[in-house]
Amino acid sequence: MIQLQNLRKRYGKMEALKGLSLEIDKGTVFGFVGPNGAGKSTTMSILATLLEPTSGKAYVGGYEVTKNPKEVRKLIGYMPDFFGVYDNLTAEEYLDFYGANYDIPAAERKQIIPQLLELVNLSHKRDAYVDSLSRGMKQRLGLARSLVHNPEVLILDEPASGLDPRARIELREILKELRDMGKTIIISSHILPELAEMCDVIGIVEEGNLVAYGRVDEIYSKMQEQRVLRIRLLDQVEEAMTRMREMPVIINVNREGNWIVAGFSGNDEQQVELLRELAVAGFPVAAFNETVGDLEEIFLEITKGVGS
Amino acid sequence: MNVLKRLRNPVLFNEWKMRMRTNRSPWIIFLYLLTLGGMTLLYIFLQTNGGTYYNPNQTRELFMILSILQLGMIGFVVPGLTAGVISGERERQTLSILLTTNVSATRLILGKWLASLSFMTFLVFSTIPLYAIVFLYGGISPGQLFKVFGFYVITMFGIGSIGVLLSTLIKRTGIATVVSYAIVFGFAIGSSVLAEIIRELIRYQRRVNYATQAPFPLWPDLLHSINPMFAMLNIFGEGPVRDLTRMNNTQFTMLNIDPFWYYCLFLALVTVVCLLLAIYFIQPVRPRFRKSAQVEQ
Repeated sequence: MIQLQNLRKRYGKMEALKGLSLEIDKGTVFGFVGPNGAGKSTTMSILATLLEPTSGKAYVGGYEVTKNPKEVRKLIGYMPDFFGVYDNLTAEEYLDFYGANYDIPAAERKQIIPQLLELVNLSHKRDAYVDSLSRGMKQRLGLARSLVHNPEVLILDEPASGLDPRARIELREILKELRDMGKTIIISSHILPELAEMCDVIGIVEEGNLVAYGRVDEIYSKMQEQRVLRIRLLDQVEEAMTRMREMPVIINVNREGNWIVAGFSGNDEQQVELLRELAVAGFPVAAFNETVGDLEEIFLEITKGVGS
Repeated sequence: MNVLKRLRNPVLFNEWKMRMRTNRSPWIIFLYLLTLGGMTLLYIFLQTNGGTYYNPNQTRELFMILSILQLGMIGFVVPGLTAGVISGERERQTLSILLTTNVSATRLILGKWLASLSFMTFLVFSTIPLYAIVFLYGGISPGQLFKVFGFYVITMFGIGSIGVLLSTLIKRTGIATVVSYAIVFGFAIGSSVLAEIIRELIRYQRRVNYATQAPFPLWPDLLHSINPMFAMLNIFGEGPVRDLTRMNNTQFTMLNIDPFWYYCLFLALVTVVCLLLAIYFIQPVRPRFRKSAQVEQ
C-alpha cells in the first residue's frame, strides 16, 4: 500500500531524510518511532503530498506522490501533529466543510457526519463550537475530519502528544476500531511503548535513517524469553558480577551503584537457583527484583542491522 | 448544472459563514460607515451653511469628495482584509490540512480572494444611502455613479490580489499586511511621482534638443491614468490626466480611448498576474520543481 524508495530530503545543509526505504502492507498499523527531528514528520508530510522529496520516490496505493498528488489525496486522511481547527464553526459544520472540500454531496455528508461523530465519541458535542472543545476532543474531531472521505490510508502524526492519560486511552480505542475496519494506518510517536500496543509493525527512525524495523509480536515473544534482574548488594558487587558472568543463564551484567542489572534467559526455577547460589557464596544480597526488559532495547537488539 | 457545481466553492462559503460570525465584522461595518458618513454629513453641513442654503454646483464637489474618501477607505481596508487570508490559515495551522483535500490551489485562492472582496463590496454597497443623500441635492448622473462603483470593484480586485499574493508568499500575517500597505501606498503615490519625473525629463530633453514643436509623449499620462486618485478624478474630468479621446491626434489614434479603461486594463492585469502567482506558490509540490527533481535522479 505504501512504499518509500531511498527517500531523501534536504533543508539547506541539513539532511532530514537520508535514503529512507520502507514498505507497508495494506491493512497494517505501522508505528513510526523516533526522537523529535528524526524525520518522522518529514516522511509523513511527503506521503501527504505536502512536501517534495529531494530525491527518491514515495508511493501510496501505487501512485507516486509527486506525480499524482490528486489521486494520493483521495486515498489518504492526514492528521498533523497540531490542531488545525476553525474556532467559529461547530463540530458538525467543521466536518461538513471538509466533506464539501472532498466533493462529497450535501445529502451524503448529512449521513456520514453523525456516524463519524459517533465513532470518535463526540455525538453530544455536535453543535458545540470547536474552540469550546478540550484538547482531546479536538484531537478526536481532527481524526473524524481525516476520515470524512473514507480514506484507505490514515497518516497520523503524533496524535497522542499532549493528551492526558484518559484521552490517550480513548484515542487508542478508536484506532483499534479503525484497525478492525481494515484501514492502513501510519502513526508516529517518540515513545515506543505508546505505539507498541496498537501497532502491528514498528519502524524506528533516527537522524533520517531507519535504524530498526520489525513486527510487534516478535518483540513481545522475545520479551517473554528475556527478563531483567535487579540485585542490590551491600558490598562485593564486582565479585558477584564476576561470579554471575560464569553462569550460562546470564546474558549480560551491568553495575548501577550497588545494583547489578542482569539480562536473564532462564525460567523461574533457574531464577531461584541463582539467588540460592549467591546467598550460599556469601554475597550480602539485600534485594532481588525481576523487571520486564526494556522494550526499546529489546526491539533494537532483535532488529539489529535491519534498517542499514 | 455541472457548471454550477464547479462554481460552488466550499472555501468561499465557509469564509462567508465565519466572517459574519466574528464580533469584528459588525465593528468594521460600523466604523466604516461612521467614518464615511460622518465626514460626508459634516461636509454637507458646512457647505449648506447649517442647512440654510445650498449651491447645486457644490453637489458635484460633494460627490467627488465622497468618492475619493471611499477610494481611500478601500485602499486602507482591502490590504488588511486580504493580507491574512492565506498566512492566517498557515498560522491557524489549517493550511496543510486544506492542501491535502480535493480543493485545488485555484479554488482555494479564488475562494479566499472572493470572500475578502465580497466583504469589502458589502462595505462599499452599504454606503449607498450616503450617495442617496448626495443624489437628493442633484448634480450627478447615474452613469457617473455606475462608473465610480465599477472603479471601486476593479480597484478592490487589484489591491485584493496583491494582498492575497503577499499572504501566500509571506508566512506571517503582520509582515504580509505591512508589505501590502507599503505596496498599495507606494503604487498610489509612486505612479504619479514617477509620471511627473518622466514629464520633467521629457521637457528637459525637448528644451535641449529644441524639439518643442513635436507632440508631447504620452508616458506621463499613461502613468497618471493608472494612479487610483487621478484615475478617479479623471472620471469627473479633473486632475492631471489628459483626456486622450479629445486630442484628435492622428499620432495617437491607437490610444484614443478613455483613460478609465487604461486603469481597468492595468488593474485587471495586476489581478490576473498576482492570482496566478499565488495559485502557483501555494502548491506544496510545484510542477516546475517536480521536473527538475526527476532530472536529478
